[in-house]
Amino acid sequence: MKIKHVQHLYWRIGFGILPTELEKLSRKNKKAVVNNLLNASKTITPLKLDTSELDDLLSGSYEKTRENIKKVQTISRQKTKELNVAWIDRLAGTKELLREKMTLFWANHFVCEDNNYVYSQQFHNTLRTHALGNFKDFVKAISKEAAMTKYLNTKQNRKQKPNENFARELMELFTLGVGHYTEDDIKESARAFTGYSHNLQGNFVFRKRQHDEGSKTFFGRSGNFDGDDIINIILENKQCAKFICEKMYRYFVNDIIDENHVNSMVDVFYADYNIENVMRYMMLSNWFYDEKNIGTKIKSPIEFLIGIKYTVPVNFKNPKQLLYIQKLLGQILLNPPNVAGWKGGRNWIDSNTIVMRLKLPSLILNNAYISKAKKGTSDTVMETKKQGFKKRFGRHFKTESDWNYFDNQFRNVDINDLGNYILACDMNKTAGEYLKSLSKVSKQEHCVQLMSLPEYQMC
Amino acid sequence: MDRRKFLKRSSLASGLFFVPSFVKAFEQVTSSYLGYKRLVIIQLSGGNDGLNTVVPFRNDLYYKERPTLAISKNDIIKLNDDVGLHANLAPLKRLYDDGYLSIINNVGYPNPVRSHFRSMDIWHTGTDSDKYLQSGWLGRYLDHYGKHPHSAIEIDESLSLAMKGNTINAIATQDPKAFYNLSKDPYFKNIHNHQNDAHLSEHNLGYLYKSMIAAESSAKYIYETSKTVSTSKEYPNNSFGKQLKTMAQFINSGLDTKVFYGSLNGFDTHVNQLNAQKRLLKTYANGIGTFVQDLKDNGTFKDTLILTFSEFGRRVKQNASLGTDHGTANNVFVIGEHLKKQGFYNNMASLSDLDDNGDLKFEIDFRTIYATVLNKWLDVNDEKILNKSFKQLDFI
Repeated sequence: MKIKHVQHLYWRIGFGILPTELEKLSRKNKKAVVNNLLNASKTITPLKLDTSELDDLLSGSYEKTRENIKKVQTISRQKTKELNVAWIDRLAGTKELLREKMTLFWANHFVCEDNNYVYSQQFHNTLRTHALGNFKDFVKAISKEAAMTKYLNTKQNRKQKPNENFARELMELFTLGVGHYTEDDIKESARAFTGYSHNLQGNFVFRKRQHDEGSKTFFGRSGNFDGDDIINIILENKQCAKFICEKMYRYFVNDIIDENHVNSMVDVFYADYNIENVMRYMMLSNWFYDEKNIGTKIKSPIEFLIGIKYTVPVNFKNPKQLLYIQKLLGQILLNPPNVAGWKGGRNWIDSNTIVMRLKLPSLILNNAYISKAKKGTSDTVMETKKQGFKKRFGRHFKTESDWNYFDNQFRNVDINDLGNYILACDMNKTAGEYLKSLSKVSKQEHCVQLMSLPEYQMC
Repeated sequence: MDRRKFLKRSSLASGLFFVPSFVKAFEQVTSSYLGYKRLVIIQLSGGNDGLNTVVPFRNDLYYKERPTLAISKNDIIKLNDDVGLHANLAPLKRLYDDGYLSIINNVGYPNPVRSHFRSMDIWHTGTDSDKYLQSGWLGRYLDHYGKHPHSAIEIDESLSLAMKGNTINAIATQDPKAFYNLSKDPYFKNIHNHQNDAHLSEHNLGYLYKSMIAAESSAKYIYETSKTVSTSKEYPNNSFGKQLKTMAQFINSGLDTKVFYGSLNGFDTHVNQLNAQKRLLKTYANGIGTFVQDLKDNGTFKDTLILTFSEFGRRVKQNASLGTDHGTANNVFVIGEHLKKQGFYNNMASLSDLDDNGDLKFEIDFRTIYATVLNKWLDVNDEKILNKSFKQLDFI
C-alpha cells in the first residue's frame, strides 16, 4: 500500500500514524491493512471507572433523601470529568483503533447526556459495544438506555399523555433525517414508546400499565406496535441506510457528498445493517483514496488534540486544564451542545477556535514558544525567549511532554521530511517559503512549527 | 473634506487610542449626527414558552389547557386587563412603562418545523422552511455592508449560523484580552505574509487561512478599543450577565460594530417547566435590565435596538410531565428608545383557533421583522439580504 494512502487511512479512522508503524504497514497490501484494523477492533474493552460508591447509593437500600440525591450528583460530576480524561487517554493509546474512532463517531450521532454517572457510563459503553455491530440492535439498545429515556423524556411518555421528544429525535436525528416522516408518524410512534423506563440501577424497565396497547398507524401500517416494532419499520426504509451512510461519508471521507459513492455504501449497508461491513467496504474502495479526499477535511477538536498527543505524548498535570482546552476548542467530550451534536466541518472554525488551535501545540509542548530563528543564525536567544514565554504563558498549562518518545519514533526521518509525516496536506506556498527561511534548530522545534500551521488542522 | 467625512474619520481614528474624555464626548455627538445605529440580538435557545412569558390571564382556555402549568392570576405582573408578564420579568415591566418595549405576538413562519435545529436554522438563515441556506441573515448583511469581520460580533465561544456570511464571517469572542494574546504571535503573521485573499476561501485550507487573518486583525482592534472603557455596573453573576457586560463594554467604547449577538440556553422545557423557566426568565430580565441601564448611563441606548427571539413557542396544552412540547408561533421582544408602537404591537393569539397539532397559528412572518430592522434601523437594502421582498412593519 502506498505510504500516502496508509497515512490517509490512519488520519481518518485514527489520529495519524507514526513513522515506525507506517513503514511496517506500507509493505502490506490494502486488504491486509484493512483486515488488520478490523481484527484489532474485534475485542471490546469497556471504559469504566470505579463506581462502587455510586452503586451503593443506587442499590435501593439507601433512602431517596435530598442528601443522598445530592451526593449522587456530586460524585457524578466528578466521575464525568474523570471519564473525559480517561477517554482522551484511551483514544491516544488504543489498540482497538477503529472501534474507538467509531465510538467517537456514534457519540455525536446518538447524542445523549446525563447527570447520573452510572447511567452515562453505561450509555457510553453501549456506544462502544455496538460501534461496529448491527445498526438495528444498536438503535434498539439506545432506545432502552436509562440515560436516553431520561434525556429525551421517554420516561415521561405515558399512555394518557404521550411525550413526543424521543420519537421525534429518533426519526430526525438517529435514523431518517428531517422531511422523511410526518407529524402524525411522530405522534403514533410516541405512543409505541410509552412505558419505557428504567430502575434506580439504570436497567431498562417496561412499565406495562403506562404502555398504550391500542392500535397505532405508522408509515401506513397499523398494529399494536411497541418501540422495537417502530424501529423495525423505520429501518425497512432505505432512507435510513442512506441517512447513516451520508453521515459516515461526511465524517470519514469528505464534507461534500459524492452521490455515487454514497449510494454504493447504502447498498452494502441496507443489505444487513452491519456497520463493520460498510466500513470495510468504504476502506477498501478505491475512491476512498482519491486525491480530492486526502488532507481536505478539517480535524475536529478532539482529532486535533489526540493527534498532538499521539505524536508527542503529553500529560496534563491538572486534568481540569484538559477540559478547559476542549471548551476553548469547542468540543467537550460527554458534554454535547444539544441532541443534534456538533455540526462539524467548517463549523469547527471561527475566530476564537482558529487562534486557539494555532497556539495550542506551542502552549502545551513548548512553553508557548514557536521558533523563529532565521537560517544561518543560531537561535542563541531562543532559550531566553522560551523562558520568557514560559513565564507569561507557562502558568496556563501545566504539562509534561515526552519528547524522547517522539525522537525514537522519528529517528529515521530526516528533518527536512518531517512535514510529510506531520501534515496531511501540501503546504501553502507562503508558509512553505517562510519555513524554508527559518533555521531548523531541531526536529522538536520544527515539529512545533509544523503543528502551528493552519495545514496541521487538516486531515 | 466635507463635515460628514471629517466626523466619520475622526471618530474612527480616535477609537484606536485611549482618548481624553472631551474627545469621547465629541465622538458621541458625531455618532448621533451620523445616525450610528447598532442592533443587538438575543436568542433564547430551546424554544421559550411564550404563553407563560406573556400570559393571557383572562383566557379560560389557557387555564383549561394548562391545569397545573398555567401561571395564576395572582402571580402576574399585569400589563393591561387581559395580559400580564411572568412574575420574574419585572425589569421588562419597567421598560414597558418607559415605552421602551414593544411585544410582537404570534411571530412564526409558514409550514413550521418543530425541530429545534431545523427551526433555529430557519430563523438564522431567514429562509423558507423547506429550503436550506449555508449563510445567516446577519452574515449576508456583513457580506454586503460590513467593512470588517468585526462589524458583527457574537459574545460567545463560537459563532451562530446567523452570523456566518458567504464571504465574511462575524467575529466570536468572549474575552477580548485572551483573544488578542493568543492571536498576536509574529509567527502567524509571517506564514500568511502577502497572501492573496482572492482564492482563500475556495477550499477548507483557504478558509482556515482567511479565518486566521480576520481573527488577528479583529482581535487587535477589539482589544485595543474596548479596553478604554470599563463598567462599574453590577451585572447578575451568571454567564448571560457576563455576556451582556462584555457587550456593553464593546458598545460603550465606540467599537465600529453594527451587530451584536448573545444567547441564553435551556428553554427546552419538556419536563417540570415551571421552575426551569422561572429561573431562566429571571436571568434574562435581570441581565437585560442592567444592560439597558448601562447603555443609558453611557448615552448609547438611544442608538441601540435589542431584539429577542426564540426558535418556536411551546404547545398550548401542557404534557404529562408538567412541561410542554415543541410548538410554533411565539412572541418577539423589541427594546429601544425609538419605538413607533410601544407596548403591544398586535393582539395575542387565539387559543380557540389552533392548527391540527394544537399549536398557535402564526400571524407575523419573522422575516418581516428582519426586513423592517434592516431597512428602517440599519438603513440597508433588506431585499438584497433576505433574497426576497417582505412587508415592512411599523414598530420602528
